[in-house]
Amino acid sequence: MGAKTLRTVDEINEKIRKGDAIVLTATEMKKLVKDKGVTVAAKEVDVVTTGTLGAMCSSGAVINLGHADPPIKIQRAWLNNVEILHPGAAVDLFIGATVMDESRLFEYGGGHVIEELIRGKDVEFKAIGYGTDCYPRTQVESTLTKNNLNQFYMLNFRNCYQRYNCATNGRDEIIYTYMGKLLPHFGNASFSGAGELNPLCNDPDYETIGIGTRIFLGGAHGYVIGEGTQHDPHNASGTLMVRGDCKEMSPEFIRGATFTQYGTTLYVGLGIPIPILNEGLAKKTSVTDEDILTNIIDYGVPRRSRPSLGKVSYKALKSGKITINDREVKVSPLSSLNGAKMITETLKRWIDDAAFFLTAPVEQLPVTTVVNPMRQAREILFVEDITQPATVSYEDEPLEAVAKRIIERSVNHIVIVDTSGHLLGIVTSWDITRAVANGRKQLSEIITRKVVTVTPNEPIDSAARKLAQHNISALPVIDATGKVLGIITSEDLSRLIKG
Amino acid sequence: MTKILVKFSDKQVGRPMASEIILDLQVPLNILSANVTPKGGEILVDVPSHEINRVVEAFRKRDVTVAIQKGIDVDKDRCINCGACYSLCPVDAISFTEDYSVIFDGERCISCGLCVNSCPRRAIKI
Repeated sequence: MGAKTLRTVDEINEKIRKGDAIVLTATEMKKLVKDKGVTVAAKEVDVVTTGTLGAMCSSGAVINLGHADPPIKIQRAWLNNVEILHPGAAVDLFIGATVMDESRLFEYGGGHVIEELIRGKDVEFKAIGYGTDCYPRTQVESTLTKNNLNQFYMLNFRNCYQRYNCATNGRDEIIYTYMGKLLPHFGNASFSGAGELNPLCNDPDYETIGIGTRIFLGGAHGYVIGEGTQHDPHNASGTLMVRGDCKEMSPEFIRGATFTQYGTTLYVGLGIPIPILNEGLAKKTSVTDEDILTNIIDYGVPRRSRPSLGKVSYKALKSGKITINDREVKVSPLSSLNGAKMITETLKRWIDDAAFFLTAPVEQLPVTTVVNPMRQAREILFVEDITQPATVSYEDEPLEAVAKRIIERSVNHIVIVDTSGHLLGIVTSWDITRAVANGRKQLSEIITRKVVTVTPNEPIDSAARKLAQHNISALPVIDATGKVLGIITSEDLSRLIKG
Repeated sequence: MTKILVKFSDKQVGRPMASEIILDLQVPLNILSANVTPKGGEILVDVPSHEINRVVEAFRKRDVTVAIQKGIDVDKDRCINCGACYSLCPVDAISFTEDYSVIFDGERCISCGLCVNSCPRRAIKI
């Protein structure tokens, strides 16, 4: 049902040429289907425009500089102090959105360089090479604008995620993630994606979006060149690989960005026209935010599989408030929903003005691929693998007894627990030394009660980060109730590195 | 409402300055935040806008420095209306229009700064 062809791409293009095509934005299409039904909408509408404008980290640009005289085979290169990821042949560069300027870490990166070049600004270029018989030069510096580049085109491995997780944070501290700043104790949430405006949500079976599909990319024409990395259509998480000419793009739709303590990225505006070839496509393009669900995920857990706290619709997400653990919290969209809407409107205008014609894909995108986790040939370790028994004391013990225990057990950290074994605080041998020097007698006076802890299933990298961030040398290992299971120390971690 | 930041030295720490002014002028003042130590301190005070001149004058008479706070300052050329800041605001000073443009209410803002580093475009300043 619904598969009978109503019109072809060629017929639609003919109508566009004559100015007769009926083009609706995704928002308008949903309203029309609601008001008049799928059959009427399928008969009336030729094209539905979709769009999204979000942070897309797997983005970058290919640049060809032309040859210097004498010529250089570039070994390493920098634009505005951001290192180029991969020099290809002598003067081909690929600049990735997430590479950062080492002197401005987390504030300025490849995404910003791409935006500045698109804006027509000057960028500082430098490169070094090892010198060869044919390319003798070993270093070069210059100031460049996009007009000085032979090629400058965007090449994005993964764009246009069909939907994405809603992120929140169950830890007792603020965390900074690629999903933005997340407050402690599930204090807020964030989501990404344009929901019902997203191109892939409107053509989830890839009937019309495939290799060769002409699209809106960054305010210019671009093309789908394949499925994106981690393409996962089975789980309604498809992605696209795309390219487009940066020289034609507009900074309105390509913006460098930074996620605090996470890194730099690129906001990419992408829109796709969906030709309504049959009634089935009219139905698919009527999908609404209510129908598109995603998981609320606790990003406080630093593991690949993070616990889900339930499902939520894009309708709820776009309302600005969702419920987590029976509490209402505010949720930030990280994608620009205003920008996505603007893209659907701009693309509609282009088609109405016969400035954009549709293409039929030359090859379909795969609809059955799945995403597998990384093969980990070497064992990676978790906190539980290096946890030692903790040396414990009770709050009311005299200092002398605790000092003796430190010597007997040859440890530096005493974990203070209550009678049921729950964590109350921590004391170090240094605290004891200082207490003795100051004439103190009671342990309770010197306990550090605000203790940074770990759980057994945390990766040791995460434990090492906590040690470094807080400038401490041990972490009590506790369960969800706060019961002490053991301790890990910086010595234990150093031993691992030594092997 | 208008927000003022009042800074005072160790000499005024013991003095119930805000209460005096409330009683003297019969103006309701709301202390939004306070950071006071024996060495001095600062308080952020919400003042009804039509009383701002009288209140500022009353504070200045008491030998403190008073600065009128503008709250957050958003560079709309940099802003892309992503709304990353929205969920961080504890006083609902950041909201969306119907077409998902982000709007900032300087009057509501208490200059807490939570949103500043959440902005991927670094468009927000206090």
